Amino acid sequence: MLIAGIDMGIENTKAVIMKDGGIIGRSIVSTGGIDRPEQARRVYDEALNAAGIDAGDIKNVTATGKGKYDIPFASGVVSETIAASRAARFYFPEASGVMSVGADETIAVTLGDERLIREYALNQKCAAGIGTFLKYLAMRLELTETQAGNCDGPDAGAINEGCVVFSELDALSLLNNGAPGEAIMSSAIKAAAARAATVYNDLTIPPAGRVVIMGGLAKNRAFAGALEKYLTFEFLNCENPEYCGAVGAALSGVKD
Amino acid sequence: MKNQRWETKPLDCWQLAKEIRRNYDKAIAGRDSVLGQGNTSFTIDWQAAFPAIRVVEDNPVGAMMAAQDEAFARRARLASEVRGWGREICGYHNTCWGAQFLGYTADGKPFPERQFTVPFPCVCDSHIKRGQQCRDYKPIARWTNDFTMYIGERDEKREEAMLDHRNFNTLKQLNEMETVFGQKLDDETLFELARNCRLLKQYRADVSYFMTFTPAPLSVKDLYSFFQLGSLAKIGPELAVKFWKTLRDEVEWRVRNKIAAVGSERFRWIEAHPPSWHFLKYYRYMEQYGAVCLGSQYTHFSQSQLERKPDGSIDDREYPVYSPDMELTTREDVVRFMTGPDARAPHHFKIDEYLRPFALNEFADIFAADGALFGLWRAGVGCTLTRKEQAMRLRQAGYSVMCYEGAQSGDRVDLDEKRMLEQLDTWMESLGLQKLDE
Repeated sequence: MLIAGIDMGIENTKAVIMKDGGIIGRSIVSTGGIDRPEQARRVYDEALNAAGIDAGDIKNVTATGKGKYDIPFASGVVSETIAASRAARFYFPEASGVMSVGADETIAVTLGDERLIREYALNQKCAAGIGTFLKYLAMRLELTETQAGNCDGPDAGAINEGCVVFSELDALSLLNNGAPGEAIMSSAIKAAAARAATVYNDLTIPPAGRVVIMGGLAKNRAFAGALEKYLTFEFLNCENPEYCGAVGAALSGVKD
Repeated sequence: MKNQRWETKPLDCWQLAKEIRRNYDKAIAGRDSVLGQGNTSFTIDWQAAFPAIRVVEDNPVGAMMAAQDEAFARRARLASEVRGWGREICGYHNTCWGAQFLGYTADGKPFPERQFTVPFPCVCDSHIKRGQQCRDYKPIARWTNDFTMYIGERDEKREEAMLDHRNFNTLKQLNEMETVFGQKLDDETLFELARNCRLLKQYRADVSYFMTFTPAPLSVKDLYSFFQLGSLAKIGPELAVKFWKTLRDEVEWRVRNKIAAVGSERFRWIEAHPPSWHFLKYYRYMEQYGAVCLGSQYTHFSQSQLERKPDGSIDDREYPVYSPDMELTTREDVVRFMTGPDARAPHHFKIDEYLRPFALNEFADIFAADGALFGLWRAGVGCTLTRKEQAMRLRQAGYSVMCYEGAQSGDRVDLDEKRMLEQLDTWMESLGLQKLDE
């Protein structure tokens, strides 16, 4: 059976085509701009091309992400938390939890036995946009995405971890004081990880280890490492974690 | 109807409720030769025993302004903020008293200035400021209600002493009002009000009790429509009793015949405090999942208090120094009847959280709830204090809990409506529930 999932996030839109439990095509485009339906169509077509199949062969196209209602050809929608949880179980059937950190949203989940989700926690509004903040700070510091992801060395000093507005002010103050960009980025990543850790700590019944990290920031090695230090355990890592939402959406389109 | 599990029908007593609302202006006409503000009549509407005194509540006035005309409410709040009343002040108050500073109400009419104020303190928010804004604006008389609030182990002697203090002050207030405003309090009317209040309390307690049944015969939207009738809305005691008797009988009939408020009921949830009044549509939104809100501490604790008895039954809460059947022959008796349930304030929906940390767990248990939905407010009625702890206790007891952020019930600025609905979707989907029309 051929199924598709599209995850329209704040920064990027991702699409996957799956066949018999395997990913046969995927694509990612920037979400930016006003014509979101067009972006969704584009990323979907690219994923179909990569899979070498026609849209007519797809049984379900399920959407997730902040822009999930902007995909007119989707046959269904699923919330980001459900998609992330399904993806975690897809990659690691033994997984007991999920930590998903994207451009906008941070999700922590304790997976259940009888039910997919036992408990979940979402970031509060003032903890939104962690991924976007790190992306734009890296640009300001003239670091590439890869370079920023390697900034796990000595930091330039603590910066505010409660609000990105103050975090940015602190970062710019450090920059004006002559601190190296890599050290400032290291400070910002630690602050972002501390904030993301608070979402996990909101869980009343935390997972017993075996937590899958996903979302765009899972690719940021320094961030994932800092988060592991705060949470005092190591994550289960999946290949191409930025596609997990789309994978979970695709799987959600299939009735159990 | 697809997915219907229970029979449902509109309440017959809606017509009476609408009639009361239509006659509200007539009911209070001519009674405002002396206009005050305050929270005075959760128990007995004592103002009605004066010939021409009317007390209005800044809470419903501010909430109404914010819900009906956001542009005006913003102007009003700004007018209050520039005078130093920050957003940590209850949004109801900032809107209501901002209109005072502006000098006009949403319809352009002059703001009716108060001639006295009767604020009362609340531990969780800024209600102790209630009345300060209008008194600062213009020198007017001010009396203050006290709460018999203390923390630590229960001490009935202390409660008795605190109630004596409160009763003394309340009697003093009524006596002084007679002198200040030159009006005589009619004790016979006061006794009648108290007797009606006794009936009202029992009817309301019965309605609360009936809502513990499955399917729920009413939803919280019904309660929010009705619970002002007879308490804050000053509609007159006989009419209030008539309405609540009618409602009580109809709700009992619905329980006996399993008539549901939401015909597809399959998930029951509770709240703790009032919602954002401008965004009540989320209750209807949740009905798409077959989810019904049973009420909150705010709705039920303002009206009645149920508790689980040692034998497992559910009945009215008992008080150490108060009985609903206490004799009423003097003005002081009536005052003691008014204040008695406030012993250590166990019934008050705000203070309850401090004195009985597991109050919401008991509430969820009694009402056979499946989950809880909590707003995290900046301040005002239902501010965030203790909310996360309550969520944790409920989760540990096996209830599913969702929290969402907003400013205050009467301030829509910080409520992200789209985000809240998406969070509700996530909540329901995480429990394996889909919209029933899908």
